Amino acid sequence: MIGRLTSTERQYAAVVLSLLVVAGIAMAALGRNDALGVHGVLVILFAGGLLYAVLSAFFEPEPREDREASYYDDPIKAGIVLSMAWAVFGMFMGVWVAAQLAWPSLAFDAAWSTFGRLRPTHTSGVIFGFGGNALIATSFHVVQRTSRARLAGQFSPWFVLFGFNLFCVLAVSGYLLGVTQSKEYAEAEWYADLWLVIVWITYLVLFLRTIARRREPHIYVANWYFMAFIVVVAILHIVNNLAVPISWGHAKSYTIWPGVQDAMVQWWYGHNAVAFFLTAGFLGMLYYYLPVRAQRPIFSYRLSILSFWGITFFYMWAGSHHLHYTALPHWVQTLGMTFSVMLLVPSWASAGNALLTLNGAWHRVRDDATLRFMMAAAVFYGLSTFEGSFMAIRPVNALSHYTDWTVGHVHAGALGWVALITFGSLYTLVPALWKRERMYSARLVEVHFWLAIAGTLIYVFAMWNSGIIQGLMWRTYTEDGALAYSFVDSLVAMYPYYIARAFGGLLFLIGALICSYNIWMTVRSVPLAERRDSDVPAAVAVPGE
Amino acid sequence: MFEISHETLVAFSKSWGLFYLMGFFLCVVAYAFWPSNRKRFDRAKTSILDRDDKPWK
Amino acid sequence: MPELFHRKLERSAIGFVLAIIAAASVGGIVEIAPLFTIDETVEEAPDMRVYTPLELAGRNIYVREGCYACHSQMIRTLRDEVERYGPYSRAVESQYDRPMLWGSKRTGPDLARVGGKYSDFWHVAHLINPRDVVPESNMPAYAFLARTELRTNDLGEHLAAQQALGVPYTDEMVANAARDAYGQAFPDSEAASGVSERYGEATSVSAFDGVATRLTEMDALVAYLQVLGRLTDAAFRDTAATEQAPDAED
Repeated sequence: MIGRLTSTERQYAAVVLSLLVVAGIAMAALGRNDALGVHGVLVILFAGGLLYAVLSAFFEPEPREDREASYYDDPIKAGIVLSMAWAVFGMFMGVWVAAQLAWPSLAFDAAWSTFGRLRPTHTSGVIFGFGGNALIATSFHVVQRTSRARLAGQFSPWFVLFGFNLFCVLAVSGYLLGVTQSKEYAEAEWYADLWLVIVWITYLVLFLRTIARRREPHIYVANWYFMAFIVVVAILHIVNNLAVPISWGHAKSYTIWPGVQDAMVQWWYGHNAVAFFLTAGFLGMLYYYLPVRAQRPIFSYRLSILSFWGITFFYMWAGSHHLHYTALPHWVQTLGMTFSVMLLVPSWASAGNALLTLNGAWHRVRDDATLRFMMAAAVFYGLSTFEGSFMAIRPVNALSHYTDWTVGHVHAGALGWVALITFGSLYTLVPALWKRERMYSARLVEVHFWLAIAGTLIYVFAMWNSGIIQGLMWRTYTEDGALAYSFVDSLVAMYPYYIARAFGGLLFLIGALICSYNIWMTVRSVPLAERRDSDVPAAVAVPGE
Repeated sequence: MFEISHETLVAFSKSWGLFYLMGFFLCVVAYAFWPSNRKRFDRAKTSILDRDDKPWK
Repeated sequence: MPELFHRKLERSAIGFVLAIIAAASVGGIVEIAPLFTIDETVEEAPDMRVYTPLELAGRNIYVREGCYACHSQMIRTLRDEVERYGPYSRAVESQYDRPMLWGSKRTGPDLARVGGKYSDFWHVAHLINPRDVVPESNMPAYAFLARTELRTNDLGEHLAAQQALGVPYTDEMVANAARDAYGQAFPDSEAASGVSERYGEATSVSAFDGVATRLTEMDALVAYLQVLGRLTDAAFRDTAATEQAPDAED
């Protein structure tokens, strides 16, 4: 990897990493009486380890090939590996916390292993670790291929990738240490947030400079989605995480937003993290890997443009549906509800566009599990956006809010849409990237597909049932007008569903393990593809064609 | 935020937001259906399926 | 025109980024900006006091342990919630809350008005092992809180940071933060009187964890739980009609 950098670029890397080590030392010194100090040591180890790698290859011969004549794929490969590592970690944590809800004794007598601390390691692990790395890797791939331009930088892609992973490590280890803002999906503390801003701006600049290198007159629509993802996540992240640390030596900070404003800002962030992290970026994947895998152009390019602006515009209004019947002003709730319902139009336009692209190639969907992953993802995308709009309607929300129904909805989206489209994209990308003729085992892809589908369905059905039962029990009255059930009654009714949910999650985790094994074996043992130029392996293991 | 009352701000938000939405929608539709854009969209649609795997320069 | 405009936008990706910002920021601005003038519309609560240093420390433990993942602190305006948990939550009640802890999920019950509902003793026993008190519970055990000494040497900095953000802590409160935290959990000590002087006679001064020899995180968390919903009685003063869930109208 380092052999591919020129000596100037190596110096650059060494300087940046040294600065990071210095920052780590400062954190360790200032925060020696605080969790901040632990994170300082972690930063020193992370940056120091990379610095060691750079320095030990510092005097190797410089690259002689013309780098501009090929795409820059090394960071993408690393991103895929990191993404799968986080997937296994994050999903394992998910299964563990799910099991804790069914069997609360599955914790140690120690603070770090309680549900409240483990739960964000699951959410951050899968959203940022698995999803974020997959987005960075695929965006680097898609932007190069669609722009027919090499990434505009040798060092900056690595900075973005490793910098982002440092953020993830700081976030997740922080939760275990008790460092958290308790802002849902934005738990990481101020210094990690500041670091992410630097990384993210580098990412944006890199992406824009690469696009500026293109020869194509038109920017392919997948890049629009990646751009919206990068830009809007930056805005959301900065605004929601504005905070004042109590001192330079403390990990703890207080947000500048009090009470009701904090609630609105938090859910404006929270809902749009779903929109721009978990939807826009993954739609970018869909609009590239689905047509490529199916070898058919997207059904309607115009529709993809309309739905792009629809999603970009409408989503931002919808966050307040998380706060129905609360102390938030009524008109804001109504506005949020209205736009949430309107969102269904661009969302279904995207899902429909994906499915209509496959129209006429259903035999390939039947035979090729990779394509089926993407088709199932589009179906789940359509279903969960419908469910989301439905749940945003005030009277429905009265029943669903605070219950497991929300959790079920989130996982219909996260497992059914986000994870399935990612797996489909990775199965397309891995052989192309490592120039293998196919995945190691098409059969294992098939097994993974059915594990993922079964896991998702079990999970979602369990949560629908428990959520609706819970919501109904809370509002059931006896004939003489008293509440019929105590809270504990409703909890007892949940236990069977919590067990089923943990089982569904376990199936999904096993699928991810199989996927990791399959990728590993593809890289290790599948022969090189004959046509080395080919971006897409010809007729990838499509029997019967 | 200094002398503006809550009602004024809310009223402005609601009306301006609506006009903005409609204006935006019209621009996007015009762009998507502008006849001369058709060629570019068609090219974008199919060009990603090319097998060529090298940057252009 | 839009066509030419858009072609230019595409040429320069930066213009495209600006267009994305223009499209995406409106919703947030429209909904969030008016909230800065919300003070005009929110009911006032002149009787509301700030969290004592001990309660704030307890709140930070609640934050640290991620309790919001299973407990809301936001009673909605629905009839069944009001009957189960008490008067629905007012915006003013969380005016000093950074972050707000309204939550999004009730694996356990709402805690917005849990203060005073159970005894200190009940809370301690429940936190040490929830299943000793509620056999069906799936809440984690927080026995380690009773073993962990509360860090008080930085409480002044906590209060100062909150003060800088506009929470009405006086300089005297900031200066006495650690002492007040100690005093609130040791009713017989000299420091105890300062707490009621600075935070009002109604402030509960008690050996929260039942052990009057050391100040633990258990003391702080129980002190916080016991004050939830009791910083002001705004919600009890005007009780507008609640909504019946299924036929709620906008």
